[in-house]
Amino acid sequence: MSDALIKTDNTKFEPGTGQSPGQSSAQMASNLVDLARYRSRSQFLVIYDFFAPRLKSYLIMRGAESSLAEELVQEAMLSVWRRCDSFDPEKATASTWIFTIARNLWIDHLRKFKPDRLSSLDCYEDISEPVETEFTDSHKLKQLIKNLPCQQAQLIHQVYFSGKTHREIADEMAIPLGSVKSGLRLAFEKLRKQLGGNQ
Amino acid sequence: MTIIHHHPDISTLMSYAAGSLSDSMSLVISCHLEHCSDCRQRRASAESLGSSLVEECSPVSMSTGARDDILQMLNIQPHQSSAAPIPKPPKHGEVPSALQRLLGHAEFDQLEWKTLAPGMKQVALPSAEGKLKLLKIAPGTCLPSHGHSGTELTLVLKGSYTDECGRFQAGDLEDLDPDTKHQPVADTHEACICLIATDAPLKFEGLVPRLLQPFFGL
Repeated sequence: MSDALIKTDNTKFEPGTGQSPGQSSAQMASNLVDLARYRSRSQFLVIYDFFAPRLKSYLIMRGAESSLAEELVQEAMLSVWRRCDSFDPEKATASTWIFTIARNLWIDHLRKFKPDRLSSLDCYEDISEPVETEFTDSHKLKQLIKNLPCQQAQLIHQVYFSGKTHREIADEMAIPLGSVKSGLRLAFEKLRKQLGGNQ
Repeated sequence: MTIIHHHPDISTLMSYAAGSLSDSMSLVISCHLEHCSDCRQRRASAESLGSSLVEECSPVSMSTGARDDILQMLNIQPHQSSAAPIPKPPKHGEVPSALQRLLGHAEFDQLEWKTLAPGMKQVALPSAEGKLKLLKIAPGTCLPSHGHSGTELTLVLKGSYTDECGRFQAGDLEDLDPDTKHQPVADTHEACICLIATDAPLKFEGLVPRLLQPFFGL
């Protein structure tokens, strides 16, 4: 039954179904605020059904086995439930807030293999600031990335999903390190200009 | 607070936001962010880009019992549990709060500085990826000219230095391109303390500095 629900929910957000991602982003933020206020499990499940399968996909791309990805998703979603009172819709979208939770969990997971690795607590101070440019329209973003020069799109993908450093990306794509940096810079500027919300 | 003139490149902040920067470089960025609200905003944009990309991932279904399991977990874990992040102690002294744990809450003058060369001392810091160190340059001391085969992030914590790219004061971060050579010199009466992360050995010019390389450990 839960599978059926997840599938129904996923289709809602497929392109061309009429639901604007802008609305869903605002809706998700208000869901999180309400979750902190009313502690409603059904509301939690709405958030869970949307984000859990996407975070699982993200963590698998970062290199997690399916079962590990799922374990980390559960941990991330439990953090959402416990810490949603610290979510501030003025400073981040629901999606960004949840993304940073999953990213930090992944970083801390990597410490199991490299105990010297600095933790997310060391490297990611929780000092939030109202966002300069909000990439809220994820559908449009996807289209814009498709329109980028192939190499720039690849660079964005490498940085956010493969977890590789600039040096590793340069080696793998057989391009100079400077081209990795300038390609990312150009891509970011282009996307920001075409999509940026608050400018 | 002094005005900050030099910032990390957006490509560096994107990798930081993505969680794809080496841990040593992430720490340097984190220390810069404490001082720089502009970069905190840019970081937030880069995180927002990441979250939008994740929203567009093809979803992978969770296994059948996952939804029931998480509901169970909500039952066990009451709200307002100890899950909230531990608040950091308030910042005191000159050490950025992101660095305080690594330094065992010591101030700069309480650290064991190792002399590298006349006018240059360092404290090597533990990190798993790349090199991380504090470097103290005595007033007027000029570092050997060097380039980089990889990336170098230098954050000024105290004092200032000048190189081919400009003048760097407390809070300023130099995000060096691999092609840039530079020769920093501490340019006031005060020693300059920097936090430096590198991901590949430096390339020194000239024989003597090349011989010094093992001592720098950079």
